Amino acid sequence: MDKTKVYPKKIMSIARREYRGLLLEKTFMLSVLVQLFIASFSAFLVVGLTSFYDPMALQGMQMKESKIGVIGDNEGELFKLMKISDLEPVQYADFGEAYTDFYDRKIDAIINIPNETAEGNNLINLDIYLPRSELKATIVSLQLKKPLEKFEQSVRSLRTARLDGYTPLDIQIMRGNKGSSSSKLEFIYVALLPLLMFTPAFISGGLVIDMITEEFERKTLELLLASPVSFLDIVGGKTLVATAIAPVQSIAWILLLSLNGIHIDNFIEILLIVTIVSLILATSGSIIAVLCRERGTAQLFYSLILILLFMSSYLYTNSPLNLVSRLSLDSIRGLEAFTWIAGYMCLAVLLLWLLTKVVQKQHMKV
Amino acid sequence: MSAMGLGHSVRSIRINIINALYILMSGWYTVAKWEFLRSGMKFSRRSVLAILFTLLLLAVVSYAVSLTGMNLDQKIYSVASSSPALNSIIASDDRFDVFPTDSQDADITIAEDRAYLSGTKKSIAAADALEKVFINYRETVLSSYNDINNSHPVWVTIHDLDRPESFQVLGSVTKNDDQYSDTENGNTDGFGEHEGNSVMGKRASTTISPEELEDLENTNSKTFFERQTIATPSNFNPPIPFTAILYSFLFIFPIYFVSQFYSSSIMEERTNRRCELLLVAPLRSRDIVLGKTMPYILVAMLLLSIISLYIESPSDIHELGTALAMIAVIFPVLLLFFSLSFIAAIFSRSFKELTFAMVFFSVIVSGYIFFPAMFANVHTVSSISPMTLIVNLIEKGNISFGKYVFSTLPFYLVSLSLYGFGTAIFREEDLFSQKTIPEKVVDCMETFLSSPLGSVFALSIVSIPFVYMAQLMLIVMLFNLPLPYSIIAMIVLSALVEEIAKSIGIYTIMKRRLKPADLKTAGMLALLAGGGFFFGEKLVSVITLAPIASSAFGSVMTMGALLLIPLLLHVTTTAVTSLGMHFTGHRYYVFFLLVATAIHTMYNTYLLRGILFG
Repeated sequence: MDKTKVYPKKIMSIARREYRGLLLEKTFMLSVLVQLFIASFSAFLVVGLTSFYDPMALQGMQMKESKIGVIGDNEGELFKLMKISDLEPVQYADFGEAYTDFYDRKIDAIINIPNETAEGNNLINLDIYLPRSELKATIVSLQLKKPLEKFEQSVRSLRTARLDGYTPLDIQIMRGNKGSSSSKLEFIYVALLPLLMFTPAFISGGLVIDMITEEFERKTLELLLASPVSFLDIVGGKTLVATAIAPVQSIAWILLLSLNGIHIDNFIEILLIVTIVSLILATSGSIIAVLCRERGTAQLFYSLILILLFMSSYLYTNSPLNLVSRLSLDSIRGLEAFTWIAGYMCLAVLLLWLLTKVVQKQHMKV
Repeated sequence: MSAMGLGHSVRSIRINIINALYILMSGWYTVAKWEFLRSGMKFSRRSVLAILFTLLLLAVVSYAVSLTGMNLDQKIYSVASSSPALNSIIASDDRFDVFPTDSQDADITIAEDRAYLSGTKKSIAAADALEKVFINYRETVLSSYNDINNSHPVWVTIHDLDRPESFQVLGSVTKNDDQYSDTENGNTDGFGEHEGNSVMGKRASTTISPEELEDLENTNSKTFFERQTIATPSNFNPPIPFTAILYSFLFIFPIYFVSQFYSSSIMEERTNRRCELLLVAPLRSRDIVLGKTMPYILVAMLLLSIISLYIESPSDIHELGTALAMIAVIFPVLLLFFSLSFIAAIFSRSFKELTFAMVFFSVIVSGYIFFPAMFANVHTVSSISPMTLIVNLIEKGNISFGKYVFSTLPFYLVSLSLYGFGTAIFREEDLFSQKTIPEKVVDCMETFLSSPLGSVFALSIVSIPFVYMAQLMLIVMLFNLPLPYSIIAMIVLSALVEEIAKSIGIYTIMKRRLKPADLKTAGMLALLAGGGFFFGEKLVSVITLAPIASSAFGSVMTMGALLLIPLLLHVTTTAVTSLGMHFTGHRYYVFFLLVATAIHTMYNTYLLRGILFG
């Protein structure tokens, strides 16, 4: 019997055996538990990491009015501007008085406004005192930003007229009163969703390494090869299982996100990409495992490759991560998406071909 | 004669001690040396070259990425406008896909001087992004003028002022007898209300007069992200909160990588049965475990030292001390990671299982470390994570010993007991058999209970740190349930955790028939296990809280009469499980465990009725 040929039936039987092994060991349960844990984390992540991503996103949250001590400001313009936004300014005569109240937590920040007029010629330097390393400092800065910007604009409207040939770009954005920050949407669709979609694929690559190196290290490979299956059948079956379990988990993620009210477009295309990427990663994992044969080295090598691939996806538009973002937001035309998906499919096929070559070469050595 | 004899015997004792020390050391030292050599040999020249090449490629790609601004958000919004000048301004932002005509169904359509939204959620976000693009453009154009008084007339200077922290460190813990549940419930309702009294804090922190402010600004702390201090209002960005996550990642990554290798090495010994040779050698299992662990701990410590030196870049003795303190803080985290990898490698039956177990543990421990550290300087709950101490070290340069003990003691205790349990079953029948995980857990318990100091009383005390950490993890997991449900789930689950901790020893005794099966034994066991748990709980609260809040210590003393009720509760619920199993058999353990949990829950609910029902 020719052991270099591929027999789909045997690959399937190896795949079935591995799949049953996965269920039997209850490892799958553990993995589901991990993902559930991450899910329970995600609400927290959305708040926590969004603000990490962009502190301005905290603006949407319900915040108490912060009390701010104001020194100076004879004209009262900034004082007025602060009052109409979410702040409660309190006038103080001098810094010592304000500092006492700041120390006793009666106010959360102090702002010193110099005696300069908008019509004048000098710089207006505002001194803002914030509590060191408290979240309150971030919150107060957020609340201060808007009145400060308005103040700057009002001073500028008088002073920029003196600049030569300056005409402000005057485009009115008709957003009504729907003033939502772009950060939250970008966090969900650009950071969270691609990460959730591809995490199962990342794990799959590591999983297939375990499956293959285990056969080497337990010396069970000889036993298997004595039965009428080839080395290629074994590796193929394992790669197939590893590839297949990733999209299943991604479907679960998409459903969970939809339940949370996050609308995802182009469901089918996204799943297709996830499957292709998981095929690419599982095939790469198999190639590495067959070449290294030892788990520690193979896993190290795989994680380095993974980081490399992850980093390079920052370099160009329509990387798998970006493609998922654009598809889920429906920001890409069908043809463009199709071209790129076909391109990734070609890469996967190329890797599969490489895998068969490597396996056949290694088969001689086994 | 007597003097000579004394001298002689002292010398012989000394030699004996040296000999004993030598034997003690040599065992694990040999194993460690062997492990070092072996892991070095594992990498063939070809794989070392391949890994180096990959690292080089990685460096090149990272450099290229660092030039682009780390974005994955290319072309997620679309804008249609007929003005080419405007289009080139908008296209300067990667996020926009710009169409020259308005025939497309774009998110934003610009006609004349107005931008219309298509009305979807995405278009609202796009409008926000577009506004920022216009602001950036305005600033760039204005910056090109060399007339700062007219182009940027307003400037903001940020100063940091110290003031006492508003919260007491876990001052509320002792209000209630059931320490853990109470802490947690205090924390679940978020970080809204800690405008409490600042008497405690004032005493702790030094008072700073306004005159000293100038000095304060000069002593700016070294951080990754230098705070911007002067800006115009449009460029003025709030300070980044949660920098702690970044520090954590920096420290966690090397630990994670090294522990991967560590667990992989132990698993290998098991799969290819090489360890069998070690076990028949005249070595105690303790030596083997120590020898296999030490090289990895050393390597990890080396990496962590480099990182902490990099962060702190010490220039004098004091800063070197800070760097050392960082290592001291991270060490228990390392130990916990390693002990979990060790126990995972012993319990799992295949590499696959090990991988999943490692991912599971890493996520759990990272959660435990990250979550509270996000509230550094905001809420008391942050002090349970060692990462908060790292943040404090970076910002202030020192931490109090009490805080160190408070956040790292559970780590030390849990990892040492894990190592203890793991070493106990580091023997042939557990390493090379396909025993199920519950069987192996029961094996651990059995070895502990049949050791000279082992008893259900001691076991309950040992379980306290586990219970403590498990319950803290539960807060993280249940954080995002809506409020009444999260507290209810918390009460039920924390009761379950406590009941498991108390009854696991009794279950082992009944299952393995370690003690005569009569009613009196079952009762005694319940009394001992419940009492031990109660004793340990109080011990922990006294030890960890005393250095942090002296007032809390006082309130523990004053509630003497109240202490009897929780003792009674712990004993009663354990008795339910114990007697239940005595009458029906150990197969019904889970059923009686649930009954005991239900009773415990009812008691806790009664105590917390104030929070639950208004």
